[in-house]
Amino acid sequence: MKLMWNYTKKYKKLVFLNFICVFGFILIELGLPTILAQMIDKGIAQNDFEVVKRYGVLMLVICLIGLVALIFLAYCGSKITTGIVRDIRDDLFEKTQSFSHREYDQFGVSSLVTRTTNDAFQVMQFMQMILRMGMMTPLMFISSFIMIIRTSPSLSGVVFIAVPFLLVGVLIIGKKSEPLSEKQQANLDAINLNLRENLTGLRVIRAFVNEKFQESRFSKVNGNYTAVSKKLFKLMAFAQPGFSLIFNLLFACILWLGTIQISQNNLQVGQLIAFIEYIFHALFSFMLFANVFMMYPRAAVSANRIQEVLDTEAVIKENEDGVTETETHGYLTFENVTFAYPGNTETPVIRDVSFSSKPGETIAFIGSTGSGKSTLIQLIPRFYDVTRGRILLDGVDVRDYKLSALRQKIGFIPQKALLFTGTIAENMRYGKWNATTKELEEASDIAQAKEFISLKPKQFDELLAEGGSNMSGGQKQRLSIARAIVKKPDVYIFDDSFSALDYQTDANLRARLRDETLDATVLIVAQRVGTIMHADKILVLNEGEVVGSGTHQELLKTCDVYYDIASSQLSKEELA
Amino acid sequence: MRNSLGSIKRIGSYIKPYKIGFIVALLLTVICMFANALQPFIMGLILTEVGHNVADIANGVAGAAINFPYVIEIIIYMLIIALVYQITMYASAWLMTNVVQNTMRDLRADIDNKINRLPVSYFDKNQQGNILSRVTNDVDAISNAMQQSLIQIVNSVLGIVFAVGMMLVLSIPLALILIVTIPVSILISKFVVNKSQPYFKGQQKSLGELNGYVQESFSGFSVIKLYGKEADTLKEFKEINHRLASFGFKAAFISGIMMPLVGLVSNLGYIGVAVFGGYAVIQGTLTLGNLQAFTQYVWQINQPISQITQLSGVLQSAAAATGRVFEILDEPEEKPDQVQRPLPEKVEGNVSFEHVQFGYNKSNPLIKDLNVEVKSGQTVAIVGPTGAGKTTLINLLLRFYDVDQGAIKIDGIDTKEMSRADVRSQFGMVLQDAWLYNASISDNIRFGKLDATEYEVVDAAKTANVDHFIRTLPNGYDMILNQEASNISLGQKQLLTIARAVISNPKILILDEATSSVDTRLEALIQKAMKRVMEGRTSFVIAHRLSTIRDADLILVMDQGEIIEQGTHESLLAKGGFYEKLYNSQFSEEAE
Repeated sequence: MKLMWNYTKKYKKLVFLNFICVFGFILIELGLPTILAQMIDKGIAQNDFEVVKRYGVLMLVICLIGLVALIFLAYCGSKITTGIVRDIRDDLFEKTQSFSHREYDQFGVSSLVTRTTNDAFQVMQFMQMILRMGMMTPLMFISSFIMIIRTSPSLSGVVFIAVPFLLVGVLIIGKKSEPLSEKQQANLDAINLNLRENLTGLRVIRAFVNEKFQESRFSKVNGNYTAVSKKLFKLMAFAQPGFSLIFNLLFACILWLGTIQISQNNLQVGQLIAFIEYIFHALFSFMLFANVFMMYPRAAVSANRIQEVLDTEAVIKENEDGVTETETHGYLTFENVTFAYPGNTETPVIRDVSFSSKPGETIAFIGSTGSGKSTLIQLIPRFYDVTRGRILLDGVDVRDYKLSALRQKIGFIPQKALLFTGTIAENMRYGKWNATTKELEEASDIAQAKEFISLKPKQFDELLAEGGSNMSGGQKQRLSIARAIVKKPDVYIFDDSFSALDYQTDANLRARLRDETLDATVLIVAQRVGTIMHADKILVLNEGEVVGSGTHQELLKTCDVYYDIASSQLSKEELA
Repeated sequence: MRNSLGSIKRIGSYIKPYKIGFIVALLLTVICMFANALQPFIMGLILTEVGHNVADIANGVAGAAINFPYVIEIIIYMLIIALVYQITMYASAWLMTNVVQNTMRDLRADIDNKINRLPVSYFDKNQQGNILSRVTNDVDAISNAMQQSLIQIVNSVLGIVFAVGMMLVLSIPLALILIVTIPVSILISKFVVNKSQPYFKGQQKSLGELNGYVQESFSGFSVIKLYGKEADTLKEFKEINHRLASFGFKAAFISGIMMPLVGLVSNLGYIGVAVFGGYAVIQGTLTLGNLQAFTQYVWQINQPISQITQLSGVLQSAAAATGRVFEILDEPEEKPDQVQRPLPEKVEGNVSFEHVQFGYNKSNPLIKDLNVEVKSGQTVAIVGPTGAGKTTLINLLLRFYDVDQGAIKIDGIDTKEMSRADVRSQFGMVLQDAWLYNASISDNIRFGKLDATEYEVVDAAKTANVDHFIRTLPNGYDMILNQEASNISLGQKQLLTIARAVISNPKILILDEATSSVDTRLEALIQKAMKRVMEGRTSFVIAHRLSTIRDADLILVMDQGEIIEQGTHESLLAKGGFYEKLYNSQFSEEAE
């Protein structure tokens, strides 16, 4: 609610206009029956058609005023709701752009996507309801009641008796339906889960000839869902006839009491007709309002999920006054670096790692999954900050850099090549927005991407579909490497980025890279010993600790972990 | 429009089994709406009578008084009719809920069964997300529309029909005034819907763009950070977002005008009824009560019309969803097994490929004239760079795809002449992407043999080296794997899939060796388990480890979908072809 209120504030004037326009609606809905009552009592009952005509014109005027008000109401409602959801999305997205890896880990990518798209939509739908129904119905209810009391104070007592019955009815149905609709949702999730399993496990299910078994599992959840849905909808179906029963009893009482009052000359026939219409409107708006009420919990959940993102502050922030220029380029030092994921400080994933490298050097990291090698290199561009120790790049602690300047110095090629919708050139210019065509060609040549790009009908202007899904894994990987080369960074970090390349390309690429990276430090994380044998220094990691460091030959002799890894991949002759 | 009509007819065929309930519900609705239409008329009777009485009293007619007995009588009638209305309404909703929910259950079951009968190629050709969205979101959309709209539409249409009928009975000229408003209202709504359509389309398109953009930039956030593109990304997002908002505003505003316009038409009807009705009452051709009844009929017509216009959006998207769902149901299914030759009592596990030709695209065969002979108990290693098409062989062995020419034979019998179920039950399969389902661990192992005893499950787990690990888990064998099976590690999952293959006791094994996702200790466990399972069984191993490859009886070397070399380790090395190069690149020093 706080969220919706905060965003509505910006549209105060429109909300006020919206509020005014609601009266146009009330004017029509209650004005017409009021005039009709007058028309009957003063015109028809007196057999005076002139009066009837005059009241007819009055009705017409009310309708037109009401129409104008309602059009403005539609304008305000649309303007406010679309504006609010736009603002919410802008702010959400802006917030996510300031997030560091920790916050992304915390929320999860798919959850952030749902929050920006679906949750914002839920809030918009609710706002739409509130602006129309939420304002209209209470006003309508109050106005109708005033009219009811004005028309006949004595008759209105009966209406007051009916209200608690209606309230209790709404509460009972609400109370009973809540657990049912929760259960229905859970069952729906189960159905969807089951279908998803059938799709993802397609080959396994068929290989084990278990189609029938899966069908029987599905039919169980399907049956459960159907049973709960039936219960829920049958309960909901009770609402309308139930309320209608209360209405009808009320009308019966009013007709009876109204007739008595007419016989005592306390009431006129036209008034009785108007009275009945007022009640109709009052009760109808009451039910609509109950609807808004039932919608609220769902919207509140979405609003909270959005608020949660907006309230989260990134741990790693842009250091505006940070260092932007350094004298040297490509000197990297780790000093006793220890790192533990936030909230899990007991068990650091990196323990006391130190090493240094200078331009032209290649340092490789090897170790089994969970050894911390990928985490280690993620500390350099400050995806995470070290827990203890420090990392110096060209003599400056990475935390003292302006964040964008730090990252400008680093060419990081992740394991999974991530490209964006757009042309190949646009993707490559990510590294340097004003790169010339010649620079692009050079970089793609080094990355062994020139050949397949030249085969594309539009070459550098070839469009990449979402995430580069129209490229093969190897092509994406090469483009991602080319993108980093365009940037001409001081530090190259390859996070197992050669895995999708075939042998020949891999060899050519690395040969060309060697010439390109003479002025830069190169860090390589790899699974295969073959990839890193020629590194100037290999660091062997095990459970976050450096258990060996040196060249391939040295490590074979001195490091057991390295020998184990190598022996599973190399032949006996090569190990000797 | 014709398409959506077709879809509605198809849905109709699903209702058929429940047609008795459906028809009774419709009949009850007819009674219900008739009772509803009678109400204003009956209430009007009281007002007319009382109006007359009042006039008589005023005019000093002898013995004039309020006719209380008559009023009571009519009130009782009114209550009885109201009761009929409420009871029939509830009863029809009750029946209709059964019909709709049963229908939707059948539709979902059909889709689920359909998934099991579609050829594997369908799933390779279509994006999983797309299929999933059809079988979940689209079916939900249909089910919601059916549950919420079906009864309402029937009610609305009947409501209008009966209201018009009652009005014609009461006064033809006044009825004509109101009847004219109906087509005018419909025309106006149509006009507005047409006007707003382009904006709705634009909104839908921008929304798709926004979703895609958000998805892409959130999944690529680390690259955006690395290249310092946060500001540019935000700018681009805002552009799309603001375009969406501007389309959204226009769409909402134009369709928002519809209600007041349609309302105006019905209000004009109301005024017409009041003025002309007033004139008629003065002339004595209409009773006062009927005038009051008429004003209520205005409401009874206006209400359903605006309801139908509001529902039209829901219905349109439901019709589109129905079309998409039936598209899946209409996909051609896997060719039924034609000749069924029973397998010999005891399958040996000899596998041979004889002149096999195959391509995912028939005009472009990947495998041409492949001949391979595997003896019972032998191990075949399949090697090649990533993306070389190693899964193609699995596809053919398990008949996920059928060969174009030639034959794959098990113990000399062409697999095409067996039923798919018979073929597949000879195989045990352990893939890298370890698929497990949301159930207990013992259920997951039992997936390999549904009627396995507790003892067999534990035994299989022991063979697969996973028994000890399972016992350390909370609840042990009864631990439920969560939705993504993320409460156990990848390596542990792989061990479970080995146990699952063990329990089915197949003659032939297909194994996919782990590459790198598993830590060293677990890897050794998996390695040992695989070795143990392979004993005495014919095995096809997608191999990444040198030891496996060297020990294999036969090595198949694949590249770009083709099997380009076959032989033993030594013979292939001696040949100095692709295998030698591959071997050197993966397992030895790279060539300078």
